Amino acid sequence: MKLQEIINKFELKALTHVEDREITGVYISDMLSDVMSSAQAGNLWLTIQTHKNIVSAANLIDISAVIVTNGKQVLGDTIELANRFHVVILTSPLSNFELATKFIQAGIK
Amino acid sequence: MQEQQCSHHWEMTNVHPGFIITEKCFKCNKTSTYFSAEDSPPLEEYREGEHFWNVMGSAQSVRFDLKCKNCNTLVPLKELAGMMMCTGCDEKCKVDKLMCDLEKERTWVYVAFGFRPPEETVPLSPEKIAIIEDYFNWRRGSTTSKIKIVSSDMIDDFDTCYAEVIKDIGLLSLTPVE
Repeated sequence: MKLQEIINKFELKALTHVEDREITGVYISDMLSDVMSSAQAGNLWLTIQTHKNIVSAANLIDISAVIVTNGKQVLGDTIELANRFHVVILTSPLSNFELATKFIQAGIK
Repeated sequence: MQEQQCSHHWEMTNVHPGFIITEKCFKCNKTSTYFSAEDSPPLEEYREGEHFWNVMGSAQSVRFDLKCKNCNTLVPLKELAGMMMCTGCDEKCKVDKLMCDLEKERTWVYVAFGFRPPEETVPLSPEKIAIIEDYFNWRRGSTTSKIKIVSSDMIDDFDTCYAEVIKDIGLLSLTPVE
């Protein structure tokens, strides 16, 4: 499934520019070191972390989009850095669990 | 397959979560960092020769080695304390200049750094940095962007660098017992 299709289907809000691409799965973690060691390129990364370091970890692995859940506010500094490095940041009012459940129901794993 | 002929396909191995502990000697003000894989690393003040070390902070991190899937060559990375993404904070910095050159090709610059103090720890060799770069570029699998990994030796003043470090602070509190 393509990223833009996921944004539309799951009513995600884009905080950055979006470059459409194929997604390879979903990874849930609030630890950057865990993402660095275990996430896969093209994954959607669900997290409640909002600080600038998420851009550094997402860019290293080439994550397709960071989805900040629970309606957490993302600071302007983080969005600015993400746009510069072409990292896509999306938000959802749902929790990690609720959004992951919807993904699984839609056949995304 | 023989190592010399192998085109190497690196994968992470010996992955250990742990903590990067930062401590400071109150007598000479020297700062030291080390990796601890213990659940409860020593956090109280201790004496080592002429130094009196006090824990200043900790961050969750991960230690790993790289191993070739084809020829089983193992590259230990015990010297690697972490990596950070250059954000272009100082136009006089050699890393910043490199990033300005590479950014138009969508090549992003990361800095691999070792433990402190650098004069008392084993530095990451250029060969190992090149292997780490190969590994992450292979893992990214991207045809539209790349990463370039350089040594922290290129940074004149590490303490005033605003690069974004990949580490986890505050998720598990490791504070000295009062």
